[in-house]
Amino acid sequence: MPWLVGTALIHSLAVTEKRGAFRSWTVLLAIAAFSLSLLGTFLVRSGVLTSVHAFATDPRRGLYILGLLVLVIGISLMLFAWRAPKLAGGGKFALVSRESVLLANNVLLSVVATSVLLGTLYPLFLDALNLGKISVGPPYFESVFLPLMIPVVLLMAMGPLLRWKGHDTGVILGKLAPCFVASVVLGFTGAWLAGTMSWRMIVGMSLAAWVLIVNIVLLVERLGERPGAAAGVRLSGIPRAWWGMWIAHVGIGVFIIGVAMVNGTQTNLDVKMRVGDTATMAGYDFELTAITDAPGPNYAAAEGTLKVTRDGKPVATLTPEKRIYLARQMPMTEASLDIGLFGDIYASMGEQIDDTTWIVRLYHKPFISWIWFGCLLMAFGGGLAAADRRYRRLAARTAPDAGARQTA
Amino acid sequence: MKAKFLVPLFLFLLLVGFLGFGLSLNPREVPSPLIDKPAPDFTLTRLDKPEQTLGLADMKGQVWLLNVWASWCVACRQEHPVLVALSKRKEVPLVGLNYKEVRGDGTIDMRKVAAENELPMAIERASDWLKSHGDPYDVSILDINGRVGIDFGVYGVPETFLIDKQGVIRYKHIGPITPDALRDTILPKVAALKAES
Amino acid sequence: MRRLLLACGLSLFALAAHADTAAPVAADPVLEARVMALSHKLRCLVCQNQSIAESDADLAQDLRAQVREQMTAGKNEDEIADYMVARYGDFVLYEPPMRGSTLLLWLGPMVLAVVGIGVLMVRLARRNKESAPVLDDAQRAKARALLEKDDKNGTQA
Repeated sequence: MPWLVGTALIHSLAVTEKRGAFRSWTVLLAIAAFSLSLLGTFLVRSGVLTSVHAFATDPRRGLYILGLLVLVIGISLMLFAWRAPKLAGGGKFALVSRESVLLANNVLLSVVATSVLLGTLYPLFLDALNLGKISVGPPYFESVFLPLMIPVVLLMAMGPLLRWKGHDTGVILGKLAPCFVASVVLGFTGAWLAGTMSWRMIVGMSLAAWVLIVNIVLLVERLGERPGAAAGVRLSGIPRAWWGMWIAHVGIGVFIIGVAMVNGTQTNLDVKMRVGDTATMAGYDFELTAITDAPGPNYAAAEGTLKVTRDGKPVATLTPEKRIYLARQMPMTEASLDIGLFGDIYASMGEQIDDTTWIVRLYHKPFISWIWFGCLLMAFGGGLAAADRRYRRLAARTAPDAGARQTA
Repeated sequence: MKAKFLVPLFLFLLLVGFLGFGLSLNPREVPSPLIDKPAPDFTLTRLDKPEQTLGLADMKGQVWLLNVWASWCVACRQEHPVLVALSKRKEVPLVGLNYKEVRGDGTIDMRKVAAENELPMAIERASDWLKSHGDPYDVSILDINGRVGIDFGVYGVPETFLIDKQGVIRYKHIGPITPDALRDTILPKVAALKAES
Repeated sequence: MRRLLLACGLSLFALAAHADTAAPVAADPVLEARVMALSHKLRCLVCQNQSIAESDADLAQDLRAQVREQMTAGKNEDEIADYMVARYGDFVLYEPPMRGSTLLLWLGPMVLAVVGIGVLMVRLARRNKESAPVLDDAQRAKARALLEKDDKNGTQA
């Protein structure tokens, strides 16, 4: 929730900075982003919700954190109620403009964050009102998150193409229509190449294609802004903040490819294996060559060695372990991973069926590294934007003024 | 101050109200949907006379407690003295549902247990345990594979069901029975149900 | 004779060295896929943060076995889900039921999105209708002075 609202915040700041408009909304987003972090602390420490993130829960501790919440957020919102009316005003801009698209995405991102909050707290609401006990899990979040994020991604890619203050609707539609058609075509092609023609796959690939195509158009347009200048001059003339935005948005496209591919094409195979047996999955051959004892400092373990080949060529050797921690006789599995640019293979040991046979679980997750890669791009883009030289120039410019005011 | 800017504060205080109240609730507890519904029918082997069975119909006409227990259940030992004391007062019949005595024990490797040995093993373990800890049950029955448990919505041990004269489940106590719970909740309900015709 | 013995020996050696293709754990992989798909939608009541497909708890394994048994007997997903809800309540389903009390949960996000965008568009249209602020001569002169000072300090890109 904080990162959804935080994303809305940094984009809202762009509008406020440019037009001085919607300042109270920006302030509220800032308060909300931090409040949600505090709320997260409360939720995982108080025992109010069952959660995989919850630890050391204690209702008394929860009461203290709740008190902190009331103090910090209560005062912030009171200040907001008192001073926000003074933040009204700001410049005007057309209904079709970069500002509008940014604000529309803010609304959508805030709605998504609210939905996540609603889904998380709803079981508590119903339980408190004695209306029964329900669970809200992945089916709900997926059915709410995905439809709302589609327009967000659509608007995100095209936002930078629109001009500030206003843009001719006909012109922008003319630019975007071929991009849209190309995205859909690429989306279908991508899904077909991946071998899964489900709606989720097609939509996912089309969205990713949309992001990448529109960003290429954007780059070409930006580079074309100084006709006659050399390529190096054109490139260095683009501020870091713009590159940051471009890289971060491309990162989202990469992220979507990762998610779509993993969800659409991952495979899993559970087999009973003896030493010498082979299993085949997703074009890879797995041969169990040995099962050895691999004891550790506080556990006993059986380690399997799997030789992975593809068309006879060796790919990796996986060594999953089944450990039993001696203190409480607790069994744990240590999976073995082979991480690749276009997919991960991983294997884990299941139960031992008899003296020579083990259950082995094999997974193939294509493009899963792209999820991480997309996030790295987003982070890098953010860092690049923060390093923009204009922030330092602005600080240098206001410093002598501050000095002048002090001596006056 | 314009009213609309107070909305966030108001919504926040409403949320805090729920969160504060939520601190007194237990999110892990799963309430039973079988309250005020007929108890699921069952016919299970008796622990004391393994050649005989006990069914739901045999308890009709009485108000009685069904206590889910097992020798491997640590929390059951907590409530056992309370149950033994209750049984001495002879206020309400107590039926023990021995739940997955053999296969529920994490230290037993089920691959080494032959299918036909599971029932005799369960009878031996359960009887030994009751002998050494005291037997509060009017009769104990064996749910070897836990199917009757699933029908009752059992998700942990111990749990106790209060069933009325018509065989309808009227109350479920989750976790070990404490003297307070017995005195303040369960026994008053027993008295009320007995008064019902 | 020697060649025959050699041939027999070699073929025996080949038989001993023959390794099998591993058999899948599930007797019927298609059924198993359906069992796991439904199991992912049912919450484990012991661990509570995993579905019965992922959980290693005893009860989860028992419930998975129940699902498998009922599917083999021909019951469909809805019937098995109803069976579980009858015994454990709505808590066991990861997808909250559609009911009066959950109307806000299911419809809230879409309604909020539509209302939010609607309000935004109305506010933008209203802003654009407002006329620009009118400055008097003194204010205009002050504005010009401020802008000229900005120009001297160098403008940004």
